[in-house]
Amino acid sequence: MGNFEPIIVAFCCHYCAYTAADMAGSMRLSYPANVKIVRVPCTGKVDVQHILQAFQNGADGVYVAGCLEGDCHFKNGNTKAARRVIYAKKLLNEIGLEEERVEMLLMSAGMGERFAQTAFEITEKIRKLGPNPIKKAKKS
Amino acid sequence: MITAERKPMEEILDYISPFQRIILVGCNECVTVCAAGGRKEVGLLSSALQMAFMKDGKTLSVNEITLERQCDPEYVEELVAHISQADAVLSMACGCGVQEIAKRFPQKPVFPALNTKFMGASESQGVWSERCKGCGDCILGLTGGICPVARCSKRIMNGPCGGSTNGKCEISPDVDCAWYLIWERLKALGQEDKYEDIIEAKDWRPSWHGGPRKIIREDLVE
Amino acid sequence: MTQKNNKILVIGGGIGGIRTALDLATAGRDVVLIDKAGSIGGLTTQLDRTFPTNNCDLCTLSPHLSESGRKERIELMGLTQLADIEGEAGSFKVTLVTKPRYIDMDKCTACGDCFEQFKECVQFTPGLDYRAPTCMRYPQAIPQAYSINIEKCTDIDKLTEICQADAIIPDDIEKKQEIEVGSIILATGADLFNPDVLDNFGGGTYPNVVTGLEYERIMSASGPTFGNLVRPSDNKQPLKIAWIQCVGSRSINTDKCEVSYCSSVCCMYALKEAIVTKERFQDDIETVIFYMDMRTSGKDYELYRMRAENEYGVKLVKSRPHSIMQDPATKNLSISYPLNGNSALQTDTFDMIVLSTGFRIPDETQKLAQKLGIEVNKHHFVKTSSFNPVETSRPGIFVCGIYESPKDIPETIVQASAAACMASEHLDILEKIPKIQDELPAERDVTNEETRIGVFICDCGFNIGGVINVKDLAKYAAKLPQVAISEVAGHGCSTDSMKHIQSVIKEQKLNRIVIGGCSPRTHEAKFQNIIRNAGLNKYLLEIANIRDQDTWVHKDHPDQASAKAGDLIRMAIAGVAKRRPLPDYLLPMNKNILVVGGGVSGMNAALNLAVNGFKVYLVEQAPELGGVAGKIRKTISGEDVQSYMADLIKKTVNQDLIEVITGATIVDHKGMTGMFTTGVQIAPRMYYRQIEHGITIMATGALPIQTDEYLLGKHEAVITQLELDAVIEDEPERVNSWENIVMIQCVGSRTKENPNCSRVCCQTAIKNALRILEIKPDVRIFILNRDIRTLGFHEDYYRKAREKGVIFARYEPENQPIVKKDGGLLTVTFKDQILGREIEVSADCLALSTGMAADDEATEDLAMIFHLNRTSDGHFLEDHIKLRPVDMSVPGFLVAGTAHSPKSIRESIAQAQAAAGRALTFLAADMINTGAGVARVDSKKCAACLICVRACPYDIPYINAEGYSEIDPAQCHGCGVCAAECPAKAIQLMQYEDDMISAKLNGLFGIGVE
Repeated sequence: MGNFEPIIVAFCCHYCAYTAADMAGSMRLSYPANVKIVRVPCTGKVDVQHILQAFQNGADGVYVAGCLEGDCHFKNGNTKAARRVIYAKKLLNEIGLEEERVEMLLMSAGMGERFAQTAFEITEKIRKLGPNPIKKAKKS
Repeated sequence: MITAERKPMEEILDYISPFQRIILVGCNECVTVCAAGGRKEVGLLSSALQMAFMKDGKTLSVNEITLERQCDPEYVEELVAHISQADAVLSMACGCGVQEIAKRFPQKPVFPALNTKFMGASESQGVWSERCKGCGDCILGLTGGICPVARCSKRIMNGPCGGSTNGKCEISPDVDCAWYLIWERLKALGQEDKYEDIIEAKDWRPSWHGGPRKIIREDLVE
Repeated sequence: MTQKNNKILVIGGGIGGIRTALDLATAGRDVVLIDKAGSIGGLTTQLDRTFPTNNCDLCTLSPHLSESGRKERIELMGLTQLADIEGEAGSFKVTLVTKPRYIDMDKCTACGDCFEQFKECVQFTPGLDYRAPTCMRYPQAIPQAYSINIEKCTDIDKLTEICQADAIIPDDIEKKQEIEVGSIILATGADLFNPDVLDNFGGGTYPNVVTGLEYERIMSASGPTFGNLVRPSDNKQPLKIAWIQCVGSRSINTDKCEVSYCSSVCCMYALKEAIVTKERFQDDIETVIFYMDMRTSGKDYELYRMRAENEYGVKLVKSRPHSIMQDPATKNLSISYPLNGNSALQTDTFDMIVLSTGFRIPDETQKLAQKLGIEVNKHHFVKTSSFNPVETSRPGIFVCGIYESPKDIPETIVQASAAACMASEHLDILEKIPKIQDELPAERDVTNEETRIGVFICDCGFNIGGVINVKDLAKYAAKLPQVAISEVAGHGCSTDSMKHIQSVIKEQKLNRIVIGGCSPRTHEAKFQNIIRNAGLNKYLLEIANIRDQDTWVHKDHPDQASAKAGDLIRMAIAGVAKRRPLPDYLLPMNKNILVVGGGVSGMNAALNLAVNGFKVYLVEQAPELGGVAGKIRKTISGEDVQSYMADLIKKTVNQDLIEVITGATIVDHKGMTGMFTTGVQIAPRMYYRQIEHGITIMATGALPIQTDEYLLGKHEAVITQLELDAVIEDEPERVNSWENIVMIQCVGSRTKENPNCSRVCCQTAIKNALRILEIKPDVRIFILNRDIRTLGFHEDYYRKAREKGVIFARYEPENQPIVKKDGGLLTVTFKDQILGREIEVSADCLALSTGMAADDEATEDLAMIFHLNRTSDGHFLEDHIKLRPVDMSVPGFLVAGTAHSPKSIRESIAQAQAAAGRALTFLAADMINTGAGVARVDSKKCAACLICVRACPYDIPYINAEGYSEIDPAQCHGCGVCAAECPAKAIQLMQYEDDMISAKLNGLFGIGVE
C-alpha cells in the first residue's frame, strides 16, 4: 500500500473552486494529479447520487468545493451542498465506508493557493485511509 | 400524505443478503413527496446496496423501477415483465405498496425498505408532522380544525390535561399541546363557547377496533 | 458639434485598437480600423507570456483578434496609414493610403506555399526570427493572408506560379481613399528602444546581449528557435542570465537617444521573463535582475515580485551596471557592480544578458501627430490632462494605450474602452445593429444521427505539448467509443485550426466535439462559436481542461500529467456523447444603470452614461458626493482638484438623467444582466426602496490607510500626506515655519498585513515636496523610501525633486526608521545605505505616506449581496486581470476606480469612462441572451411535491394548472438546486444533465469505455 495513488473526484463550482483551480494553473502551483475535477454550475447542483456513483465506480475520495460562506452566486447552493455532503457521509457510514472519504470545502475564485493546498491535504488524508474498500474486495 | 422513512441499512441488507438480483421499486406518490421512496431515493439506495455488496466481495444487480403508485394493482402489473429476472423485490413504498406487490407475486420474497410512519403534512422543507390517525369518525369540526386524536399524546377528548405547560406537551417541549392549539384557534374564531361543550366518549368502532376496514362505493363497483 | 457621420476611425491595430474597435462595434458604431502592418495584433502578438498570470499571450489574444476579424461593423485595413485630415469633430474627412500587399486578400487561402519556397530571405530584427518576403507576422494572424515584400523577392514569376489560388498580384499598387468619420482614436502604441546605439552594452555587436522582446521571441513556441532557450552565439542553453533594467529609460544623459521617463512595464516583464525561465529550467539556470527601483505597483504585482524572489529564486540586485564586457573567445559576458553600500566592485559572468528596453514614439507617429494637429509633450507622447485622460487637444480626436503614456496591457485596455466611450459620446447611432442570428448557417438536426465525436487536442505551444505527448493522446482518444476522428490541433484557437475543425466537422459529419485544451471558462464561448458556424448546436461541445488543470500544474511529473490528460479526455468524450442540442433564451434589456459609489469614478461613469441618454441611479453611502478625491487639493502636475470636483458634483446633480441617492445603503439584490433589482435603505429614516436596472457599476472607492505607526495621532507634527496636501494649500505659513521635513513611504503598504503597493504615495510625496520647496526653497526634505515608483512621466518630477535637493534615502523593511518624541520636536533615525551609517534628523513635520486600502468591510458586504469576487486584500476582482480589467465575473457588473485597486485620479477617471464604455456595449442590445443552462421539468415524472418550489433560491418554480412544476426558462438562473433535490428526478438542469455527469464519472473510471 506504500505507493497507493488514490483517485479523488472533486465537484467544483464554476464560480469559485473551478476558477481557483484555473488560477492555481496560471500561478503554476503544483498539486497532486490524483484530483480530477468535475465542473458544476453551483455546488447546489451536486447530487448525493453522483457522490455515491463516484465511490461505486472506484473513487477513493470525493470532495465538493463551493464558494465561501455567504458568497454563493446563487445565494445558498453551497450550504445546501454542505448538508448533502453530511447526508452522504451518513450513507457511507451505514454501508461501512469511512465518512472522511467525502468532504465539503469552501474557497473563493481568487484562492488558487488554497485550491492547491487542499488538493494536497485531501490526497494525503485519503492516502492514509487507504483504498476504497469496495475496490479492495473487487480485486481480491 | 402517508409518510415514511428508510429503514436502517443493516436491516435492509439482512433481508437481501441471500440474493443476487433484486428489483428495487419506488413509488411516485406519498413517499416521493416525503422524500423517502421516490426515484431519487431508489437511486441512492441502489448505489448504497451495491456498494455494500461489493465491499463484501459480492455483486448485487439492482433493477430500479419507480411506479406511479404501488397501491394500485394496475401499476404493479408493470413489474411483471421484470419479475422473472429477480430473486427478490425490495419496495420503497408504504406498507400498502409492499403488500400489493407481495400479493401480486406470491412466489417472490418481497421486503420493505421503509418504515411507514404516519399520515402527515409538510411543516416546511424536509419536515413532516403527524396530523391524522384515520380514526374513521372525524371530529375536527368540533375542535377548531386541530385533531386531538392525532396530536394529543393522550388522545383525550376534553383537554388539556395537567401536563400542558406554556402551550407545550409534557412529553417533550418540542411537542405542541393540541388542546392549547385548539383553545387558541377557537379564541381566534370567537367560538370560545364551543370549548365548553363536552365531547362525549369517542366511538372507536369506526377505527381499527372493528378489525381491518374496507370502503365500498357501490356506484363504482363493477 | 454637427454630426454627419457616426463612423469612427481607429488608428493602430494593437491590443488597445482592437479593444476600442470591438467596444465601439458592439455598442452599434461603425469602425474603420487601420494598421500600418499587414495584420493586426501589434506588439502583444510577439510576447511569449504576459504578467502576472503568465498566460500564453496568443492564446488569450487570438480569440479577441478573430472576434475583431469577424465583426460586421469593423472595416479592417492593413498596410494602411492616414495621409491627410480635414474638418472638425463630428465630420472629419481623412485620406487613407494603403500600401500594396501584392496578394489578393479574397483569393489568398493562407496555405503557406509561397512562404515555404521563399524562406530565410529577410531578417526580421525585432523578433530575431527569419522573415520571408511573403510574410504573416504570426501564426494566428488576422486578416488571415500573407503579404509580400516585393523588393526582396528575386524571382517574381516563380513566386506567382507557386500560388495555387492565383492570389499573387505582382503589379499591385498603392491605393488612396477618402472617408468621412465622426471621431478618431489613436492607438498607435510605440516602438521599443533599440539599444544598438549604446556602446557600453556592446552596441549591438555582442551576440548574447538581447533585448527583452528578443528574449520573448526566443522563449516563444512560434519564435525562431521554436521555443528552445539557446543563446545566439553558439546555440547552447545558457546557465546564467542577467537582466539590466532601465536601458535607455530613466536616463540623465539624453544625448544617445536615451530618455528621462520610465517605461512602466519593464520591471514586470523582466520579472516575468525570469520566472518563466526558472519555471522551465528550475535550478539548472540562474537568473539575476539588476534594477534601480522595482516598480511593481499594479494590482497584486507586489505579490508577483515576492513570488519571483521567494518561490522561483530570481535574484534581484539593486544596481545599475555601467557596462557589459564580452570575453572574445567564449562570448560570455561580465558585469561589474557595487553591492549595497559596498564601494568595492564585484564582477559576475553571464551566458546571456537581456536589456530591458522601454518605449519610444517613432518618427512616423510624431509626423502623424503634426498632421492631426494635436499637442504632444516633450517626450512626443500625446498631451492629455488628469481629468480627461483620453482626450487630445483637438476635439474629436482621442488616444489610448502607450501613445498616451507608457503602460501595460490592462491599463491599455482600460483606456481603450474609455476612448470608445468618449469618442462615441456625441455621435448618435445611425442604424440598427443586425441580428447575429441572421448571419449564422442553419443548425443541423442531429437528433437521429449516430453519435460521431470529433476530438481535437491542442498543444498550445509548450503549454501542453511541452509536457505531454499530444499525438499519443490523440491516438488514445481515437480508440474510444463513438469517436469518429481524433487529431492534434496545434493552437486550437488559431484561425487556421478553427477553420480546419469546421471543415472536419462537415466532412466527417461529426455531431459532438471534444476540445482538449485550456479552460472552458475562457474558451468555451469561442469553441461554441466555431462549431455553431459549422452548423452544429453550440452545446454539443465539451472542453477537457488539459492545460490549466493539468499540464500547467503537473509539469514536473509528465507521466502523471499524461495519465490525467487521458482521464480528462475520457471524461469529456463520455460526457459529450450525452450532450443534446439546446436553445438559448432571450430577455428584454432594462437600460437603466446603477452606479454604486459617488466619488470621482462613480460620478464620471454616471455622467458619461447620462450624456449617452441612459438613466443612471447614483447611490452613495455618505451624505454627500465627492469621496476621497474630494479631499485632495492638487495633482502632481498642478491641476486644481477642488474646483474640478466642485464642477463635477454640480454637473452630476444638475444632470436630469442622473438620480443621486445619498445616505443610501445597499441591502439586497436579485436578478441578472438586464433585469437586476437592488434594494437600498436611505438615511436618515432608512426607508426602503427598490431600483430596477440592467447594469451595475461598482465604484465604491478605497479608504486612506489608518495607522498609529510613527506616532501618528499622538504627536501633532506627524501627519499623513493627504493632510499635508491640505496644509500646503490652506496654511502656507505653517509650512514656512518648518526647517526639516521627513516623509516615510510605504506606511501600511507593502507590509505583511497589506502586501500590495498603494501606487500613488511616491508621486504624492514628491508632489508635496516640490510644492513645499516652492513656498520655502531652503527647507530640507528627506523622503525615506523602499523604492521610488514614479511611473511614466512622473519620473521627471522625481528627477526635479532630486535636483532641488530633496534627499531620498532607502530603508529596508527589517530596518525601519525610528521616530521618537523629543519634547515638541521629533527625531527620526534611519540608516543611510550609501554612507552606511545611522542618521538622526529632528523633524518639524513628519509626513507619512499611508496610501490606500480597500474598504474591507464595505466590499465584503457588497460582495456578499452582489455575489462578487474579491482579491485577498479586499479589492473587487475583475473577470480577467489582463484582458478584462473592467468587467467582473458576474455578467452585467463593471468595476471602476480604487475599488479595483489603488490608483490616481487620472487612472480612476479613465476606468470610470471605460466602465461607461463597457456598459454601452451591453446597452446597445435590446435583448440579452441568458444562455441555455436552465432547469426543465419532465411533467410525467413530477409528483408536484413542491420541493423545487421551496428549494429555489429565486422562487421561480410553481405548480401549474395541470398539476406539475413549471420553471420559466427566462427566469431560471441555472443553479441546479431543484434538479439535485427533486425526489422524483423529474428536473434536469440543461448542460449539466444527470446522465451527462454520470457518464463523465463513468468515463473517468473507464467504465463502458475500455
